[in-house]
Amino acid sequence: MSVLAQTGVELRRAAGEARARWSTKAWLAFGALVVAAAVPFLSLPGVHIDSLADTAYLGLAATALGLTVGPAGLPSLGTGAFMAIGAFTSALLVRSGWPLEPAVLAGTAAALGAGVLCGGVVRLRRAFIAVSTWLLAWLVWLYLLAFPSVSGASQGLILPPRSLLGLDATPTVHFEVALALTALTALAVAAVRRGAPGLELSALRQAPALATSLGVRLAWRRLGAFSATAAIAGLAGGLSVQLQAVADPVSYDPFLSFKLLVAVLLGGAAATLGPAAGVILLGLLSLASGPLARALQLPLERFDAAVGALLLVFVLAFGGQGVLPWALRRLRREDLPERRPATPHPAAPGPSEPVLRANGLRKTYGGVIAVDEFSLELRRGETTALIGPNGSGKTTALRLIAGAEPADAGAISLDGTEVTALPTSDRVRLGIARTLQNTASFPELTALEDVLVGRAVRRHHGGLLRTALSTPNARREQQASETAALEALALVGLAEVADVPTPELTSSQRRLVALAAALASEPQVLLVDELAAGAGADELEAVAGAIERIRERGVAVLVVEHNLRLVRRVADRVLVLGAGTIVAEGSVAEVAASGVVQQAYLGTARL
Amino acid sequence: MTIALQVIVSGLAAGGVYGLFAAGYSLIYRLTGIIHFAFGDLVGLGIFATLFVLAGTSPVSQSGAHEPRFLLAIVVGLVVCVLAGGATYVGLVQPYLSRGSTIGWVAGTAAVAFAIRAVIGAVFQRSSYVFPDPLPFHRVGTAGYIHLGGAQVQARAFFVAGLAIAIALGSAWFLEHTRHGRALRAVADDQEGARVVGVPVELLVTLAFALVGALAMLAAVAAAPGEAVNANTGTLLGLKGLVAALAVRFGPPLWAFAAGLVLGVVEAAIANVHLGGWQLGPSYREVLPVAFVLLLISLRPSPEALEERE
Repeated sequence: MSVLAQTGVELRRAAGEARARWSTKAWLAFGALVVAAAVPFLSLPGVHIDSLADTAYLGLAATALGLTVGPAGLPSLGTGAFMAIGAFTSALLVRSGWPLEPAVLAGTAAALGAGVLCGGVVRLRRAFIAVSTWLLAWLVWLYLLAFPSVSGASQGLILPPRSLLGLDATPTVHFEVALALTALTALAVAAVRRGAPGLELSALRQAPALATSLGVRLAWRRLGAFSATAAIAGLAGGLSVQLQAVADPVSYDPFLSFKLLVAVLLGGAAATLGPAAGVILLGLLSLASGPLARALQLPLERFDAAVGALLLVFVLAFGGQGVLPWALRRLRREDLPERRPATPHPAAPGPSEPVLRANGLRKTYGGVIAVDEFSLELRRGETTALIGPNGSGKTTALRLIAGAEPADAGAISLDGTEVTALPTSDRVRLGIARTLQNTASFPELTALEDVLVGRAVRRHHGGLLRTALSTPNARREQQASETAALEALALVGLAEVADVPTPELTSSQRRLVALAAALASEPQVLLVDELAAGAGADELEAVAGAIERIRERGVAVLVVEHNLRLVRRVADRVLVLGAGTIVAEGSVAEVAASGVVQQAYLGTARL
Repeated sequence: MTIALQVIVSGLAAGGVYGLFAAGYSLIYRLTGIIHFAFGDLVGLGIFATLFVLAGTSPVSQSGAHEPRFLLAIVVGLVVCVLAGGATYVGLVQPYLSRGSTIGWVAGTAAVAFAIRAVIGAVFQRSSYVFPDPLPFHRVGTAGYIHLGGAQVQARAFFVAGLAIAIALGSAWFLEHTRHGRALRAVADDQEGARVVGVPVELLVTLAFALVGALAMLAAVAAAPGEAVNANTGTLLGLKGLVAALAVRFGPPLWAFAAGLVLGVVEAAIANVHLGGWQLGPSYREVLPVAFVLLLISLRPSPEALEERE
């Protein structure tokens, strides 16, 4: 066989493999990239390459913002501030004689630093995140206006020419660099979206209380997305300022931040390339406004802002998800991955020793005692039920053990380790898992993804950077997580609905998914809060069966339950809570016979 | 001492305006849970509508204003401000609130803010305008300045501070003692509960949304002749109000008003006060309060501002 023919065969094989691996979307994105890269060489009428390059840098910043606005759902109105920080840092350094590349990296670092410094705001509710980032955008702009020594007053800072990556920094070079950086950022964002950080960010967006109860670290995850966006915006700012050859404070008006948000929402925050598509749309808009302004003899360029804003309002008003997701919906193929049916690990009954000890817990709410002198021991492979009338402090006791609230007094230890002062996520990691009283769920996730959120505390290579780079460890861990999540689903008997979206599950299935999510964190102690509230007989049986199987694996289970049929069915031991203190303890039969239950539920004084 | 008096009076005048904005932000937040990013610009729209009726888009001289024309102008400005405020709520806030979309109302109100700023900037193209003075303050004292124990204080400052405080106290009285005021407080406390007992929630909230702008606009117009105005005037006043409201974490409107007064005095102090030969100067006036509040909310957030957790 000739070399040529062999090469041809190899090429065909490579193409075939690529075809098999790449989705339609990936091919479309690749095609768009190739076309975009060729644009400066086409000499299109009315297109200036420098404004094209400028738009490409805007696309870079918007693509990064897509991470904060999309999966994380944070309404950031301050991305332009980070661009300004990157721009002026790098401009000042270039003027003092630095080469371009280190100056731009310093600008990126400065923007990252500013992002981390303001990062405390990610812990806030979304309305407050919007205000804080809005203030940040104005702060940076007002600072630039007030300190001409930094910003070069009304003329701005004039930059000396510099080479970029050893090339003469023509607009075309800038454009190709911006395009390459945008493509890399988009790949990283796509990897993050598919991986653990994306899942956890999206879980935090949909149901923050549920996600944090599963051990997801809210501040840490959101800070990662927020500061990554800040750094890449700083990078875009540092490079674009060199392209413009002047750092002018007027370009960093807070409207820049808003424009970026508009681009993300217009293009669609739900798609990785949505923000870039949005930037292209806004660019086309301003291209079109020139001739239109001449025809109408109006100063339309002054209204660009208003028009962009109105466009956005239209997209939002029709409940739109943006242009790109709308277009992609036409391409969506239902290709569900093949899954091997998972079999739960064999039961592993442990020694019957206490694994969790709570001692003398106390909690008061403004003078009202919710829990007082509350002590219990939970043993491996044993199900304990905590019963008591409404308001007797059952849920409070559970919240104290899980770390949702700090106890006023008392101590909790797990396996001999003191956990009293640890936050929820640390307790989940050590092995205390809990299901919530309400059957909240993540409306946009499938059952399997829902359970995967519960793997948050078992990930060691699932950080933002490793996921973005798709390191082998991160990929292996993602595989292992999926296997574990499938196992948890199989254990509660839901293996066959793994890929069903949560809203399509029955309420009974949703209860079991919540149980599986808690189980996926590999707990030693599982706290189950009124899982069977309002359940019918069949559902009760399903829940009871799942709890039995979990107990058989050596987990210490504590169920808080009103439904005494479930208690009778699963509990090895019953604790009766009355007015915040345990008033009786024993087997189901013993407690039922003692009459304390009636006393606790009905009181004695009135009878 | 003399400088202190000057700082306090001029600070209270500026702060009174900020305070009314702050009280507006906090009232709206407590009624609806939203932060009204277009608040400052809607008031700016009212100010420029007033200016438009008074003098068109030409630069204004002091003699150009006569009382009847001025009354008409203010009424037009107030009507524009109220209608635009109400329309913003009905068109761009309420739909997203009912859908539970935070990003919707954030982007919607910010869009209104920038759209108004763009329109004002396109119609009034000079970098600044002088707002005519309806009241003859220049005849009080020496060319409008009063000498107080060696300090020179603008006569207008007393009027603006007094007017703002009167509006704030009047609104507080309204909220506390009238039927509609009590209904509004009920909505702020528990919207569903208020609806169940027959309070016309949507109507009241829309009215409140529109009217807080009018109140802030009255004070802003009273203060406007003191300085040059441009398209950024309303935006910046709104920003100061937001800083004050955030400093008290959108607490009771009267607190927010007080925070606005404090902010005004602090700004005047930053611009004027020498401390042992060390002076910050006017450049820091705009920047420091914003930076302080931003760090405050970032590092020490109040529990109700934090994302819900388990």
